[in-house]
Amino acid sequence: MESGFHGSDLDSSLKCKLEESGMANTHAIMEKAVNWFRSRSIFVVAYGTGCGAIEMPPTFTSRYDAERMGVVGVATPRQADLIILSGYLAYKTLRRVIRTYEQMQRPKYVITLGSCPINGGMYWDSYNTIKKLDDYIPVDVYVTGCMPRPESVIEGFVLLQERIKNGEKAGWQKYDENLKFYKDNQKRVLGGHIDPSYETDWYNLENGGVA
Amino acid sequence: MIDLSSKLEKLSLELVEKNAHLYKVTVKLENLESILLSFLNEFGYITLDSINCRDDLEEGLFTITYCLQTEKRDHVVMVQTSIDRENATLPSMHTLWPQAEIMEREMHEMFGVDFPTHPSLIDFALEYWEHMPPMRRDFDTLEFVNSMNPFRDQRGDNLDVKVEMKKRREEKKAAKLKAEQEAAAKLAAQEQQNPDSEAQNNE
Repeated sequence: MESGFHGSDLDSSLKCKLEESGMANTHAIMEKAVNWFRSRSIFVVAYGTGCGAIEMPPTFTSRYDAERMGVVGVATPRQADLIILSGYLAYKTLRRVIRTYEQMQRPKYVITLGSCPINGGMYWDSYNTIKKLDDYIPVDVYVTGCMPRPESVIEGFVLLQERIKNGEKAGWQKYDENLKFYKDNQKRVLGGHIDPSYETDWYNLENGGVA
Repeated sequence: MIDLSSKLEKLSLELVEKNAHLYKVTVKLENLESILLSFLNEFGYITLDSINCRDDLEEGLFTITYCLQTEKRDHVVMVQTSIDRENATLPSMHTLWPQAEIMEREMHEMFGVDFPTHPSLIDFALEYWEHMPPMRRDFDTLEFVNSMNPFRDQRGDNLDVKVEMKKRREEKKAAKLKAEQEAAAKLAAQEQQNPDSEAQNNE
């Protein structure tokens, strides 16, 4: 199982130093500690794509109080670890969701609510919505239900926390590894009208934008 | 309403009463602009509720309906006209009612009706739509959906409920039968042993 501890350059140099000084185990311990801390401070950007947006205020306010588990809402995707997509996604929304997801800093996770991102839900025969969200961005936890109650949403948080704590491979690593698969799918439904990715060299766009 | 019908008679138009609050006038396309102008300026229909489009595929027509209201809001007048479906073109009404601009943009996107005098005929709800306008009746939604978004493959452990329930019932029945048989055998064995135990007890 691959580690969820990110920052490969820093990681390997630190590992070398620790091995030199005869503390090879310290690296593993540190990794565990980082994962533990990371699982208890999940910053959320809630992208209300569908009807599930209405389930998020009770989840985060005093009735269910997700903050007691370290799950806190933030203002922008650049500060967030987790994006919640709460319902069906139109092509138009998908374009913005991909943009938002690519703005988030690694490590980043995705939770979706409801049946629609899994297999279209009740909008399966709409000309304007997608069916399988995990063709376009990787999804870590699907919270099912139509709509899921705040208890279920919190269960989804707990499941995600367990995975982070165990250092399991997350969706953003899959996205980096299979970028071509995701980009091809995105191009197929969005017709190539997607913004250049954040790996683009904006000052050399005419040369293909490869940094 | 009687005064409106008398006014319309001068324009040789007939006012059809649908109910107490709903009336209909059918006009020709070439008269549409002037009649709507007189509805606004002379008859006092200051509000354009909506512009609706109906796809009459069999007749090869689009039926366009302008819903108008006066300041009193006590009734609605529908001004109806028909245009050719293949080469659908309408004059823009944004100079009479500003809200027509966005309604016409929607109609352009959903039905492919062209408005040559429209100031901003850009995307409305859909983005970069390259296919047939989706509200046209000859647009095959199901085929489009299946080609764009196929269903997820069924899960490997997705079981047929009827078959599974039947199997489960049969298993239950067999288990019950087996238990009965075992109980009977046990009883028979006990009966065989009983004379000995009784004999032992007697001793």
